[in-house]
Amino acid sequence: MNNDVESLLHEGMERFTKDLRAPAGLIRHAAQRRRRRLALRSIAGSVAVLAAGAVALVAVVVPGVADNPAVASASVVKRVDKALSAAEPGEIAQVTVTTRAATEPGAATKTTTAQEWSYGDQWRSVSYSSAGHLVYDEGSSTSSVYTLVSYPTRTWARQRDLGRPAGLARPSKPVVGGHPVRNLTVHPGPGILGPRGCEPTSGAVRLLLQPGLPGLGFSASAPPKTAAKALRTAISCVIFAVAGRDRVDGNEAIELKSRPGSLITETIWVTPGTDLPIRVVVRSAAGEPAFRVTADIAWLPPTTQNLAKLTVTIPAGFRRVSLAEAIGLTVLHLQGPLPKRRPLPKRICLPADAGTTCQH
Amino acid sequence: MAADRSAAELEHFLAERADHLLRTAVLLTGSKEAGEDLLQTAVERLLRRWRRFDGDPEGYLRRTLYNLATDGYRRAGRWRQKERLLRTGLRPTQDATDDVDLRDALVRLLLQLPVRQRAVLVLRYWEQLTDAETATVLGCAEGTVKSAGSRGLARMRELADDWSDTAAMCGQWGNGS
Repeated sequence: MNNDVESLLHEGMERFTKDLRAPAGLIRHAAQRRRRRLALRSIAGSVAVLAAGAVALVAVVVPGVADNPAVASASVVKRVDKALSAAEPGEIAQVTVTTRAATEPGAATKTTTAQEWSYGDQWRSVSYSSAGHLVYDEGSSTSSVYTLVSYPTRTWARQRDLGRPAGLARPSKPVVGGHPVRNLTVHPGPGILGPRGCEPTSGAVRLLLQPGLPGLGFSASAPPKTAAKALRTAISCVIFAVAGRDRVDGNEAIELKSRPGSLITETIWVTPGTDLPIRVVVRSAAGEPAFRVTADIAWLPPTTQNLAKLTVTIPAGFRRVSLAEAIGLTVLHLQGPLPKRRPLPKRICLPADAGTTCQH
Repeated sequence: MAADRSAAELEHFLAERADHLLRTAVLLTGSKEAGEDLLQTAVERLLRRWRRFDGDPEGYLRRTLYNLATDGYRRAGRWRQKERLLRTGLRPTQDATDDVDLRDALVRLLLQLPVRQRAVLVLRYWEQLTDAETATVLGCAEGTVKSAGSRGLARMRELADDWSDTAAMCGQWGNGS
């Protein structure tokens, strides 16, 4: 019987498996699985490091992620989106924007800075010249009252129900005296139609960027563009991949990079503990007019002291003018000396969709 | 020194031997899906070191299959496998295909054995390896192989004996009715 059982077992095994054929593409599937496993391991590693509160930082490129960034980014981006969503109503986003830009390839770059705050319906932006002087201070209160203070011209203006900057993306060039104003700051170049119905912009991160000119792109119907909202749009419109870990101002951060090959590169650093972005860098590709915009973001609790940062202050001795005049004068100042053959404008017009009318 | 091995070489090898290795994997895991998964994992491991691989790929894959299986590979799927086997049952039938059904029952019993016993029986009676060769593949002592194999076979014999008794009983009932 012993031999019978052994031979019957062998025959049974033969029968049990006789029709089996190995699936095609074993190697291809094995390679795919390996990439997936490595990507998942990198995410698991990140989570483990976060849990341990590790502070040591080595700028390590996560292995395998470059092969399959979607897997890695999906999890991290989801967490960032969730964190931004949670931060939206409760925290004040304070953004320090540093812009290094050239107006054309090969031209010298100019650095300007701006400080921005956004909290619910309120926002404020203070712009400085490359020499560090205050240029203008603008913002909107909870009651949709827009205020602009122009420091070079020592004027200020206020207007109710002006609406919100429509994403701070310039819809068209402003016109002064029939002449288009040349770009003063970032101009990322031709746009790319974003995924999932995103705006045809070079990257949604530039929603964060200073328009370089006050009062542009206003639209009464535009929803508030807080930093958190703009960042949520950015991470949903741009495909990011986890590039590794880095330190931002001494703090550990996860680096998310946009896919290479586009006209601009976008990088976001998020804090591991909170998943909130703390730095965004947008830079041009080679061959384009050089620019690099760095937005350092701090998330502040809505204390009385911090809420005060959202209020535009009007310095004593400044003259009140109409909004169009304030904007026009500021634009002219930012333009610098006009070419001799160009006459000074007798009238100032803003873009049709700017929500303002042409003043004669 | 190992030379760089091409992917085409691995493809050629798998085209010849993957079917047999899949059958082994299915016997170790109990289902086609789990067997394919196990083989895929083994191939993945081989692929990782293939360019500098210096040795017998079939031996490596076989060892990997057995090691993965005995190391508790796909523990989570084990209960599903048992559940399926329990649902199927091991009831002997009364018709002339008793021998065939006994073979099936033996395989089903095999799949319920502890994984190490199962691995020993598959190596011994499917791969037709000796005790010493089986011990080498599993990385254990030959005595361990012998004891695990004999315990597994003892279960098989019990089943076969019960099967014979039941079949005889059924035959009597069938004759008397």
